[in-house]
Amino acid sequence: MDNHGIARVARTARTEEQRQQDLDKIQKYKQLDDAIRDKTSRHAYDDPTLFPLTSKLLRLNPEYYTIWNVRRRCLTSGLLSRPSAGSWPSTASPSTSPSATTNPSSAVSSSSSSAAIPPNPASLTTGKSGTTADVESAVDSTDADSEILRSELAFTVPLLLEFPKCYWIWKYRKWILEQAILRLPRPLASNVWEGELALVYKMLVKDRRNFHAWGYRRYLVARLESADLLGRSLVEDEFAYTTKMIRGDLSNFSAWHNRSRLMFRLLDERGADDEARAAFLDTELNLVQEALNVGPEDQSLWYYHRYLISQVIGSKGMPTITPNLTDGRKISYLEQECEFIRDLLQDFPDIKWPYEALLEYALALRKLRPGIKGEEQEDDPNFWLGKLRKLDAMQTGRWNDVERDIERQLADSII
Amino acid sequence: MADLKRLPDELQLATAQHVRYIQSLDTRKDEYDYWLTEHLRLNGLYWGLTALHLLRHPNALPREETINFVLSCQHESGGFGAAPGHDAHMLYTVSAVQILALVDAFDELEKRGTGKLKVAQFMAGLQDREKGTFAGDEWGEEDTRFLYGALNALSLLDMLHLVDVDKAVNHVVACANFDGGYGVNPGDESHSGQIFTCVAALTIAKRQDLIDKDRLAGWLSERQLPNGGLNGRPEKKEDVCYSWWVLSSLSMIGRTHWIDREKLIDFILRSQDTVDGGISDRPGNMVDVWHTLFGLTGLSLLGYPGLDEIDPVYCLPKSTVERVLGKSM
Repeated sequence: MDNHGIARVARTARTEEQRQQDLDKIQKYKQLDDAIRDKTSRHAYDDPTLFPLTSKLLRLNPEYYTIWNVRRRCLTSGLLSRPSAGSWPSTASPSTSPSATTNPSSAVSSSSSSAAIPPNPASLTTGKSGTTADVESAVDSTDADSEILRSELAFTVPLLLEFPKCYWIWKYRKWILEQAILRLPRPLASNVWEGELALVYKMLVKDRRNFHAWGYRRYLVARLESADLLGRSLVEDEFAYTTKMIRGDLSNFSAWHNRSRLMFRLLDERGADDEARAAFLDTELNLVQEALNVGPEDQSLWYYHRYLISQVIGSKGMPTITPNLTDGRKISYLEQECEFIRDLLQDFPDIKWPYEALLEYALALRKLRPGIKGEEQEDDPNFWLGKLRKLDAMQTGRWNDVERDIERQLADSII
Repeated sequence: MADLKRLPDELQLATAQHVRYIQSLDTRKDEYDYWLTEHLRLNGLYWGLTALHLLRHPNALPREETINFVLSCQHESGGFGAAPGHDAHMLYTVSAVQILALVDAFDELEKRGTGKLKVAQFMAGLQDREKGTFAGDEWGEEDTRFLYGALNALSLLDMLHLVDVDKAVNHVVACANFDGGYGVNPGDESHSGQIFTCVAALTIAKRQDLIDKDRLAGWLSERQLPNGGLNGRPEKKEDVCYSWWVLSSLSMIGRTHWIDREKLIDFILRSQDTVDGGISDRPGNMVDVWHTLFGLTGLSLLGYPGLDEIDPVYCLPKSTVERVLGKSM
């Protein structure tokens, strides 16, 4: 029902034999589905035959979200131990745990009742319940839980590799990971979570732009950094990871994006002063300049360049990585970058992106130097707008609006 | 494929074929794919029915059967699953509300369902009152898609007061990026699909003032590729569904004229299957009802003749939204 990138074939192409094969597959699929529904309609989530049936069906169809829910209910209805006073300490309920978002009225729904086990309040304050027997049984159940949770993670790996954009698989995996926090001692849970970084690494090698995988990575890192797990910052590692991804593929906008989001915390945690921040900005500008020399047609690079310049200029109420630049420094950064781009135009006169940047920066320069209009044609935003009109006629409507906006700003002496 | 190369410029919208294609969707029970996609059944009905309304064949699917099917997916909690026996989830609950809005049948919720208050409470119960976010169901996973879905359906039901709209707005703002776009969650890369959900959510909340419109529209118009199609993110391939996500966003902020509309119309028309009906992600590929709807909504926003007007916020015909929200033309 949602076909992407599948070549069209005529509908009449199916032979009688193929039709029969389809009917056989349908029959098997429906038998499996019926067997599961039979048990779930009786709330038989502790029936040991139900869990393997969900594995079978999910391998055929990981988009069948209800079956993932059935699987969760099997786990919380007996396969996993019930977190109790004897279970391991957990400092907080995870933000994505069902208890934080459970619909209060869901209990009346027959098929969505039961479900989550909230962290026991007693486990928030103590990891021990007193007797040796309790501790031993906690250790046993921990081993069993650890094995089940790891096996659940392993179960989804081939499915993720085959269906890397299936929301439900990613969601199930996150749920399993949150169970690890609830049920395993912290070092063991951290270990499980750290293993996930290897998976996401693999997924991003397969598809460098998969936004599910990038979002998952950010989620992993944020949780790993929390007191529930490692309790320390991973920002330097993550920043280094974006460098690696960019070195491997300059047009990976997802990596550039992540880099742009990490640098605030990176500089804060480094305790960077104004000088260190300016030096950091220089390094980043050099990096993107190098990349632009190789790939001047790449939108990703231009977005990153414009992002860095937005940090130089700053805008009201928005934090920037270099908050204390003087107007003089801002002007010299802008002039330096405009000069770099104009040099690029010598070799690549017919690419539109440099002109868009020059238009934007020319306007910014005018705002920084009220009253000084500049003598050269490159100081005139309309000069660059004229180039854009020629190179990108598809956006004529946009350029008309930009021209009107420039006229208005001139009339109002904003530029 | 060879045929596509000589497609005439005067290619027309294959209305009759599209109507037949949508009508045929529920008759394909001898195809394995029909069963594999059961988890999309209620969405599929919404996609197909909305497409039929745009094609001016609103009665091409029987109204009574439509209502019966929708109500058969409802749980006692008020939420809806994808099909009978499937668990309740925000995505299907929103589709159910949209379908009932299309066929003017909210009263059936009172007569034969749980009543609209319970439907609204199901969705409102999925809001995290601290963060303003919405989960899809009791198992977590937060996404601006669910936040938008809730605001869409709750406003249609006139039940928006059940949720904290201001907190939801704050969360959407936290998802904004420097490029003017929005991601799935704070910190995530801008994506045209999420931009649609965020811009529409802010529009329903009457907070468009929080959008950096020129910057966002610049980014959105740069989604158009030389072949006329639109992509969803920088350096990605074109796809007909972005004719909706990108264009509806541009429409909500009054800037559809920033792209080349003729070239986009041409791209969508070339993605039709003019023999068996339906529209695919790009020319020559397999059609599906999702791309069929979003091709048609794109054409509708572009003012293509012979199609009813689509509302860019609700993804329902304008006439439906005006009737439900009680506005007059």
